[in-house]
Amino acid sequence: MAAHAKRVRPGGLAAAGPAEKALRYALLLLVLALTVSPFLWQLSTSLKSLTEDVYSRTPTFLPEHPTLDNYAQVADAIPVWSYAANSLVVAAIVITGNVIGATMAGYALARLRFRGAKLLLGLFLATLVLPGEVTIVSQYVTVRSLGLADTLLGVALPGAIAMLNVLLMRTAFAAIPQEMDEAAVIDGATAWQRLRHIGLPNVRGMLSVITIFTFIGAWDDFLWPLIVLTDPDHYTLTVGLQYLNGTFTSNPRLIAAGTMISFVPIVVVFAALQRYFFRGVEEGAIKG
Amino acid sequence: MRRYWSGLGLAAVLAAAGCGLGDTGQPAAAPGATATGEVKGKVSLQTWALKPKFTDYMQKVIDSFEKKYPGVEVEWLDQPGEGYSDKVLSQAAGGSLPDVTNLPPEFALPLVKQGLLLDVAQADPAVKDEYVPGGLSAYTYPGVQGVYGYPWYLNTDVNYWNSELMAENGLDAKKPPASFDELVAQARTLKEKSGGKVYLMSRKPELGDFVQAGVKLMSDDGKSFTFNTPEAAALLDKYRDAFKDGLLPRDVLTDTYAGNAKLFNEGTVAWTTGGGNYITSLAVDNPSLAPKVVPSPAFGTPPLYVQGLSVSAKSKNTPAALALARWVTNAENQAAFAHLVAIFPSTKASADDPFFSKSDGTNAGDAKVMAFAALAKAKMLEPVALTEAMKKIVKQQFALAISGEVTSKEALDKAVAKCDELLQN
Amino acid sequence: MTHRRWFTPWLLVAPAVVWLLVFNLWPSLNTVVLAFTNAKPLGGGHFTGLANFARALDDSQLTDALVNSIVYMLVCLPLLTMLPLLLAILVEKRLPGITFFRTAFYTPVVASAVVVALIWGWVLDDRGLVNGFAQWLGVVAAPVPFLTDRWLLLFSAISLTVWKGLGYYMIIYLSALGNVRRELHEAAAVDGAGAVRRFWSVTVPGVRNTMLLVSVLVSVSALRVFSELYVLSNGTGGPGGRDMSVVMLIQLYTRGFSGHLGYASALSIVLFVITIGPMLLLLRLDRKAA
Repeated sequence: MAAHAKRVRPGGLAAAGPAEKALRYALLLLVLALTVSPFLWQLSTSLKSLTEDVYSRTPTFLPEHPTLDNYAQVADAIPVWSYAANSLVVAAIVITGNVIGATMAGYALARLRFRGAKLLLGLFLATLVLPGEVTIVSQYVTVRSLGLADTLLGVALPGAIAMLNVLLMRTAFAAIPQEMDEAAVIDGATAWQRLRHIGLPNVRGMLSVITIFTFIGAWDDFLWPLIVLTDPDHYTLTVGLQYLNGTFTSNPRLIAAGTMISFVPIVVVFAALQRYFFRGVEEGAIKG
Repeated sequence: MRRYWSGLGLAAVLAAAGCGLGDTGQPAAAPGATATGEVKGKVSLQTWALKPKFTDYMQKVIDSFEKKYPGVEVEWLDQPGEGYSDKVLSQAAGGSLPDVTNLPPEFALPLVKQGLLLDVAQADPAVKDEYVPGGLSAYTYPGVQGVYGYPWYLNTDVNYWNSELMAENGLDAKKPPASFDELVAQARTLKEKSGGKVYLMSRKPELGDFVQAGVKLMSDDGKSFTFNTPEAAALLDKYRDAFKDGLLPRDVLTDTYAGNAKLFNEGTVAWTTGGGNYITSLAVDNPSLAPKVVPSPAFGTPPLYVQGLSVSAKSKNTPAALALARWVTNAENQAAFAHLVAIFPSTKASADDPFFSKSDGTNAGDAKVMAFAALAKAKMLEPVALTEAMKKIVKQQFALAISGEVTSKEALDKAVAKCDELLQN
Repeated sequence: MTHRRWFTPWLLVAPAVVWLLVFNLWPSLNTVVLAFTNAKPLGGGHFTGLANFARALDDSQLTDALVNSIVYMLVCLPLLTMLPLLLAILVEKRLPGITFFRTAFYTPVVASAVVVALIWGWVLDDRGLVNGFAQWLGVVAAPVPFLTDRWLLLFSAISLTVWKGLGYYMIIYLSALGNVRRELHEAAAVDGAGAVRRFWSVTVPGVRNTMLLVSVLVSVSALRVFSELYVLSNGTGGPGGRDMSVVMLIQLYTRGFSGHLGYASALSIVLFVITIGPMLLLLRLDRKAA
């Protein structure tokens, strides 16, 4: 990896002037105001105490008597930690599967020529429009026949290689300049070597994107784990949190607190990975 | 949002999941099974969204059952509120229905048609003497012999009025309207006095309202819908006129039933209907509003809501399953349940319990007593054959009629035609 | 590209192909079979030939739904192809606190449907923020029926889709922007090209492939919109159900114990046939680019 490349600030042209900076922040704040409201709403509701109305016509944004009671109650009501652990197991399997499977397939489709490649690409694309409303159907049957009903592996399996991710990885690999590959071919590098040394360093950005998408998909999924899992001890967090919505009781503050709890890992993963979005061609170095 | 997505097609699991495409459309005769045999071994019980609030109660009921029958072991599964029908559906199709399952009557019907539930009256004839007729009839279906669930708890609707909003606008919550025409008149007063800021009415008519107006919803043989009558059109017309005069908020066109309660909680609407426990739950959502709410009995025939415990026909331990279902729904356990939350027991023995007939003087207590009194004449207003899809289509057509874009007659004809199509296909 | 072992590409795609067959193509085949039956969730069904498709032809709700879906796609396509790219450019540059902004912009994607519905209802309903403001300004006399009029409801849902989509597609663009070579930007800057020129002559060509992919994803998900319309209309699809999308219609017939799986499957196939259009278009553009 070329050392000098590290110093390059992505997207950075000349250093931004104060006027440009001000404009950028103004725009950032504008978009922020539009996007962040649901999050704040939930946060605020989750901090409201029992004496406060949560359904009044003019709800206050700031809790009058902020309290963490709701969080304590959620933790008290359901085994948050073990549900979260189950969710993490599912997410880990799904991410591993996607990172490996989608990378391999994406690379082959983008950089290698072989018979049937076009047809395969067509099929992968077609899955985006296949009638998804009914695909959970046989997935349940398949998972059951594999003996994986009521297991976390069964929950993770169908999503372990998502076709969309294959397409995203293909797009990322396709963006690497041909010259880099050609030079390596002349040097006698095999396909695997080129994937490792030229391909992978250049697609870290997309890898972090599919990791995030996959993580969120696995973390948020509700109905599929509910169907596959029978024993409430195996439930994932999203399913388990539904217990807060009881037959005779549904306290919006508790539900908001539960949602915030399930939100934290997403924010952490996102914040940790977002800086990799910029590791594009330049930082991968053209040394290969 | 992903949640909604994943909900799609879930049902389709089942078509593929082993039922295949064979011809099993005929209502199966209830498999005969007897309650005789020793109560022991493993038995599973599935409830709906009782954890964590009622964990202690249920655990106590189960423990006492295990104590009464040594050698029996109960596996209690409580499912979350959302997605319950999908869950039960996949269990039914996958042959993994728990021995005892909490099923509302409309969930039980399709399972009965497939012969998946046990006729508890045949297995346990005493059922007919011990539970109230309204509860039993909820689990009795036209064209099928037998009773397919132990009635568990009952509820009905009571009218709730926001006394503060009404007083501010020249109305008295102690003298609520007694008929539909009075309701419209008071709604007009409220609108005029408040300058259109608050409303009295915020609910579209439902098929249940047609029943009140004397409209017959289905033919006697249960093979077609019949609610496109002039009387029904006249009622819709009244709503349309009220809507046009601004007596209902425009949200009623798209709001589901819950929308009305939401508007009430916000203090935008002065009238809602709800179960006997409504004020108690309102006290959580909007503690400042709850004390200002005044209950009154429902208009006309009160609706009846029934929950029950059904026993799987494929249970490997029928004697224990029956004993468990009966145990959970017995008078003593139901009464204990009713003391925790405002529901009403389905057992005849509970009728004389003063707990239900005497108010503690609070508005919540008054509501409970009113609801209990209403149970005696409450009826299930909508036929169990009415599926979710039909309900939605009816709702859509009613909204269209009320918005004035089509005549009430056109909307009713279309709704009936669509529902018939769904019923017969 | 040449490589010595012919089977290497196949080894690489093998796992994905297995998943493709087992979890994607096979279930879809099942849908096709169901479309010719009157299957119910519990208990069977008969072969009914083309009856479901005949019924679909006659279904006025399907016509409405198709019109909605196409309008939806036509409006979303330009907005969601361009706006997230601009947003990605905005957050690309490292400024103090940029991590916070990036994360915050992504939150609508993961916000719960219930909360989104609550907030948007609060913004758009008759007594909501927008109407309150408009009436205060005196722009309108009566509240604008954003959530109950057929077309306004559709456009409200579209704005919700755009709002949610911003963060989602922003991320895909961000990863692609890293690949736009800096030298090109610099060369253009030296040539005296302004920011707008550089955007069109450097950035857009640099992320062209990604734009194509995004535009397909946008069109397909617009044609298959569900949650936004569902949430804003509380699941009713508006008066007369005229704001239902095709997927809402499919859902209506699929859900529950008495679902009409056969008909729902037939509707799925109709939807599939329609969504394949933008897909083929992309393949053609892709080939031209190659």
